[in-house]
Amino acid sequence: MSSVWPWTIASVVACAYLVWRRLLAYLRYLQQEGYEAWRFLRWTHVRSLADPALWLSIAAAVLFLRAPVSATVTFGLGAVLFGIAQPDPRRTGKIPLRLTWRATRILAVAAILAAASWALLFRAAPPGATLAPLVASSVLFAGLPLVLIAANALLAPYEHRVQHRYEVEAAARLQAVSPLVIGITGSYGKSSTKAMLAHILQFDAPTLAASGSINTLMGVTRHIREELVSGHKFMIVEMGAFRPGSIRRLCQLTPPRAGLITAVGDMHLERFGSLDNIVKAKSELAQATPPGGYLAVNADSPAALRIAQGATHCRVLLYGQTSTEDLVTRIEQLRFSKEGTTFALRTKERVYSCFTPLLGRPIILNLAGAFTMATALDVDPDLAVAAMRTLKPLTNRLEVVEEGGVTWVRDAYNSNQFGFRAALEVAAALPAGRRFIATPGVIALGREQFEVNRTLAREAAAVCDRTLVVSDTNKSAFQAGHKDAGRDDQLVPVFNRSAAFRWLRENVKNGDLVILENDLPDLYEESSGVFWKASKRAAAERR
Amino acid sequence: MIGESTPGRRRTIGVIFGGRSLEHDVSVVSGLQILHAIDPQQFSPLPVYIDQQGRWWVGDDLWQTSSFKGGGPDRARLTEVILAASYGTSALRPVEGGLARSPRTLAVDAFVPVLHGTFGEDGCVQGLLEMSGCAYVGSGVLASAVGMNKRVTKIVALHAGVPVVPWLSCERTVLEEGNAWLQDLPTRVHDRLGWPVIVKPCSLGSSAGVTTARSPDELVAGVLRVFEYDLEALVEPFITNRLELNVAVAGLDPPVASVTEMPVTTQTSPLSFSEKYKRQGRKSVGSSEGMAGALRVLDPDSLSSELRARAQRYATTVFQAIRGEGISRIDFLIDADDGELYFNEINTLPGSLAFYLWSAAPHYWTITELLARLIERAERVQAVKRGLQRTPPAELRLLT
Repeated sequence: MSSVWPWTIASVVACAYLVWRRLLAYLRYLQQEGYEAWRFLRWTHVRSLADPALWLSIAAAVLFLRAPVSATVTFGLGAVLFGIAQPDPRRTGKIPLRLTWRATRILAVAAILAAASWALLFRAAPPGATLAPLVASSVLFAGLPLVLIAANALLAPYEHRVQHRYEVEAAARLQAVSPLVIGITGSYGKSSTKAMLAHILQFDAPTLAASGSINTLMGVTRHIREELVSGHKFMIVEMGAFRPGSIRRLCQLTPPRAGLITAVGDMHLERFGSLDNIVKAKSELAQATPPGGYLAVNADSPAALRIAQGATHCRVLLYGQTSTEDLVTRIEQLRFSKEGTTFALRTKERVYSCFTPLLGRPIILNLAGAFTMATALDVDPDLAVAAMRTLKPLTNRLEVVEEGGVTWVRDAYNSNQFGFRAALEVAAALPAGRRFIATPGVIALGREQFEVNRTLAREAAAVCDRTLVVSDTNKSAFQAGHKDAGRDDQLVPVFNRSAAFRWLRENVKNGDLVILENDLPDLYEESSGVFWKASKRAAAERR
Repeated sequence: MIGESTPGRRRTIGVIFGGRSLEHDVSVVSGLQILHAIDPQQFSPLPVYIDQQGRWWVGDDLWQTSSFKGGGPDRARLTEVILAASYGTSALRPVEGGLARSPRTLAVDAFVPVLHGTFGEDGCVQGLLEMSGCAYVGSGVLASAVGMNKRVTKIVALHAGVPVVPWLSCERTVLEEGNAWLQDLPTRVHDRLGWPVIVKPCSLGSSAGVTTARSPDELVAGVLRVFEYDLEALVEPFITNRLELNVAVAGLDPPVASVTEMPVTTQTSPLSFSEKYKRQGRKSVGSSEGMAGALRVLDPDSLSSELRARAQRYATTVFQAIRGEGISRIDFLIDADDGELYFNEINTLPGSLAFYLWSAAPHYWTITELLARLIERAERVQAVKRGLQRTPPAELRLLT
């Protein structure tokens, strides 16, 4: 038996290497979940039980009873191979791991905890039990996510203190620079409205707005500390509501002088329980807007309108298109073309003819919100209208591209029913021989999912000559929707995205139009590539 | 033996590329080309990479194009360095904090900045190199700063007798002066230039932010687009039937013009950023070759030899007028309707250092030979500058 020990030491080193790689992999998701243990645990679920490393150690332990040396060698080699095969989370995936100081701290503590737990498990074994290292390893691999959570919890008091210090610093900086803060919240369209408002305001005065969707206390704190400089006149803060009180906290850090509320709906219903609670959470922005401050509200959204009606202390500015309220800005004469959207904005004073290269009804609604807020803040309306012409369409967000005589309406990043409808509407307005749509439908709607997809399928059938429903996720809902429309023959179920493209390549002709709506593989991406590199084919499909 | 490189220490040549500009990627492509083109017998080339956050790095990974794909080179495998502004020995100092590597100062004999655009081509990095007393290839602070500003270069060129396309300028400060400019500018353009016009940033290279405007609405939008990138917009008449002609000039004694080149492009719009650098067609060699990969005709015989010679003469004139050094590329426009040749712009750090123009007839210089001569010249210029009298004369010594 004594000849096993040298091999054991080598395989322990290999195991340590693999544990290190795995910690990095899990850390990426802990970071993505905002270092929140429960959200991370929901993602982890029983994932660590699917880790091949766990099964390798169990298999090695079983084999060990018959051939100790070969079991130990197999385990060591396997651990090295698995370590190499695992993609580096710092370089792969949609959101790679960023080894910030905080992440490094957690990683270091987790590594110590992992070593300590392994040693404890090893010590717990009866003396002379050569099987102990393998058993300890298998338990460790199964419990690795918990080790990260423990490390995170140990560091929590320290992180809390650091975060508090950062907040104090950010508040002091904000007070010193004292820009006019505009808070934006809503269930949909926050980031897009923020980007458009920033685009318009920058031509009036230096404006700070985070690119992307930084909307948490920690994110905003960091953004202020890193980016806010004397000279900034406007600062636009996107305020996300994760639970009641989160917007109030953000408003304490960055007291808004004006607020903008985009569409309010039942997104994240599971977090809040009811639409009433969502409305309550979003109205924290209205409550924080000072008396006499501007509050621009999307009147087309009934829930947003309820917030406006409760905000009697503010100067409420309603904007919209279909609302019957007395609007400050009303969208009229909406017309879509391949180049962009032509529309008019009717204000109390005048009607402005506008053009923007962006497409889609929700986008124009957000733009009307940005226009309303900008002009309320004394930006010349003509300048705001001119600025709309220079907005740039974003890749895969209702982007129209001509390729080889075929018009592609690319909307892969959209994932909700409103965006789906907007794409259908734009596609219907563009000239085309035949129209096709390839989509997996929309997901994450709980019990509503079937009915929503059924309705979308019915609407798609009215616009498109063929619907390619990708994957089985919403296939039955799409079949039902097409049956409702009496267009069963128009539905083409395909197994996956590449099958859809194969079908399109064979059937699409010059002059046709194709809508690529929602990209399901992308949504499911987070579940692949933790332990193994995603195959080249899968990666290509994602692209 | 005379003519052979002396044995012993090879001089370290720091090739600076990357940078905090829109043309970061183009500079990486150019920089790596130059890095590999420096004669290793004579010199020891050292890649110095400035990332998009403005931090400086050295390391072996910087030799490979593949390191720059994805999120850029792995910083953990590089050493962060600084070039101190304090005058003295020309060296890069590692930033403290590395655990594994012992901080070792890297002496650099001369630098070759291959940075394009803001902070690299506009005199900023040249100013830093001057402050710390380093020898460097290429234009100095004055020529770089003048060359970067298209309006100022036009004035200098005009003064030197080189024809330029008329222009109107619009500074970003108009945004602070009310909305009158929204009407005034189109009126001025209408009266003085006519439609259509080209709207471009005054001090950016690489055609970024350039648009064509056919109406007042498009003009204002074009100017606002420029203001997202730059503080000043230039408006020029759009020459419908236009050809482009480029010439490089090497700052030797005397300056030498290269052959002319005609970039192949769609005739209706100026060479766009993606055409210049990303075009991938049957004949193109692909984006990894930067400017060297674009489509072009060298020494186009469709043009008269007189016109080509005139372009070379004008190019040298402008180069000298701004006090250029190193390699510049001077771009001209030809109005095909009347055959008139106009100076358009000068790039004091052109993509790929326009090396493809030097290996063409009649010079037969490889970029390696040319770089060796330019490095030598840079070292001489710096030695002369170091010899200039810097001790204050008695009448300026007030504190003794």
